[in-house]
Amino acid sequence: MPKCTIDGKEVEFKPGENLITVAKRAGVEIPVFCYHPGLSVVAQCRMCYVEIEKMPKLQTACSTNAAEGMVVKTQSDPVVKGRAGTMEFLLLNHPLDCPICDKAGECDLQDNSFGHGSANMRHTEERRTYVDVDMGPVIEKNMNRCIHCTRCIRFGEEVAGIHEMVAIQRGNNIDITTIDGNPLQTEYAGNYADICPTGSLTLRDFRFRKRAWMLKKTSTICEGCSKGCNMEIQHEGNVIYRCVPRENLEINKYWMCDEGRMNYHYTQDEKRILNPRSGATFIGWEDAIQTLKDQINEKPLTVLVGSDLTQQELENILEYTKNYHKGSSVYHFGTEGVFTSAQDLPVDKILKMKSKTSNLNGAEKLGIKSVQEMKSASDVVLVFAGGRANVQSVTKKLEGKKLIGIGVYSLNEAESFSMVLPSLSFTEKDGTIFNHQGIEQKLKRAIQPKNTIKAISEILMLTANKKVKVGAN
Amino acid sequence: MEKHLSEKFYLAMKKLEPRYPNKKALILPALHQAQEEYGWLPKEVLEEIGTYIGVHPAQIREVASFYTMYNLKPVGKNHLKICTNVACCLRGADELMNFAEKKLGIKCGETTSDGMFSLSEEECLGACTTAPAMMANDEYIEELDVNKLNHFIEKMKVLKI
Repeated sequence: MPKCTIDGKEVEFKPGENLITVAKRAGVEIPVFCYHPGLSVVAQCRMCYVEIEKMPKLQTACSTNAAEGMVVKTQSDPVVKGRAGTMEFLLLNHPLDCPICDKAGECDLQDNSFGHGSANMRHTEERRTYVDVDMGPVIEKNMNRCIHCTRCIRFGEEVAGIHEMVAIQRGNNIDITTIDGNPLQTEYAGNYADICPTGSLTLRDFRFRKRAWMLKKTSTICEGCSKGCNMEIQHEGNVIYRCVPRENLEINKYWMCDEGRMNYHYTQDEKRILNPRSGATFIGWEDAIQTLKDQINEKPLTVLVGSDLTQQELENILEYTKNYHKGSSVYHFGTEGVFTSAQDLPVDKILKMKSKTSNLNGAEKLGIKSVQEMKSASDVVLVFAGGRANVQSVTKKLEGKKLIGIGVYSLNEAESFSMVLPSLSFTEKDGTIFNHQGIEQKLKRAIQPKNTIKAISEILMLTANKKVKVGAN
Repeated sequence: MEKHLSEKFYLAMKKLEPRYPNKKALILPALHQAQEEYGWLPKEVLEEIGTYIGVHPAQIREVASFYTMYNLKPVGKNHLKICTNVACCLRGADELMNFAEKKLGIKCGETTSDGMFSLSEEECLGACTTAPAMMANDEYIEELDVNKLNHFIEKMKVLKI
């Protein structure tokens, strides 16, 4: 492979790689604003200046491809001066309202200003101000903070496939806005807030709720659909504040849809059932397990499992029914109209899949049949669901039967059940799931579950145990 | 979609097309041609140009708003564009602007109520050797002073063009 030198270090590169990528491999970070690995290169912000030997002027690293024998300096005097100059220009109109800005703490402008700019400013003129348009329910706009990197415009055009952000006018009068001031239409609008290098586009859902540096981060997988986008749950004090995508070039690249991003809300909803519930009253675990035992009583059962459960939970359920309820039949359910992975097609050209549950593929791998093939059901039906599977689609089919729900249920869903035993949601458990491509990925526990809910494995163990001793509650 | 642009526009575009390496390069001449027909560029026209060239109308809008010579708002019959850049400024462009504003009774960027005159500020017209300069529609008027400008406006008023 060809080699070039960056800050005295020799690095190999593939032809066509730009200097930012190559430098990153050499452990050299070049500051950027407009460059994003998932978007086209425009070299607009002029922050990534580097000095290249035998070239008369500073070059932008994002738009310069590495070449054999190239000698690049990223810390020389002209570069430092050039970056400081760029920073000064970029901050001319920036309001410096970091104390009240949601981006503070994870802001590229803040970081690069600290690292490459000056603490003093020579500019005394009045700053330009804008009246902001309403960009819809997902994104809040603050044009005063904008540095015109045009990442949002390129994201819409190249990734979301809808050209809805535009740059109107030019120079100092430039306004980055939506066409005719319309609200955003894309279902991937949350990404605008992620890629914005300033606090210009922020997430309404997260606005003023938590400072970025207080959040703890847990890397997990989105359970919104069978795509299995990699994401990070950001939480503090056992409360989830937001979910952001993680880079995975094989699956979701750098992006995530709004549905998946806002999906976590149901796990903290006040309508979620957090205590065992029999009929319309809440009961203790000891009573609940006893009632469950009396009702199922080693008979063959019809067991429905949501395809939103993890591989481990599904295996537990299969093993339990095999050992304690011989002759039972197990079916998986999830999304109405999507019963097999062959029916699970992409909804759009970006990420979304038809199956609104994450582990349809895994359930099939374990040989579980679809609920569509269910001909008849036992009098008592066990329904396991992880919170995402469409419970209503099966309760309709099973009218007249005695339904016992185990998993994550809301009050509305619980009405059709004679009993509900609360279990863990995807934010509270570990486990693995198979996405639609067959890639196995790991869910990780982000927050501690309430002590009134139990894992499916524990509920099954207590039910199987003849002499029950229930710990908590 | 209803057509807003004339056959003449499409003929002109056909003629120009071989001159450029790709169709996208037609955006600027297309906008000029359309402005010649309409006097300004309404939203529907921008959309039609976008469809014709095969780029999103939003991109056409971005281009049209980038250049000051495209009018995104209706303008009067006579569009006076006074240069206020360095050379003209030193030779009294501000004075000319004040005079024109007073004479026409409008502010810079506005149009008279009878639709005869629009007044706007222009970036460098490249006529620094003959500063101060202005453009009246497509015509250059150079080495201006207040008398000359007054005379010009009076002439236009009489001619009613």
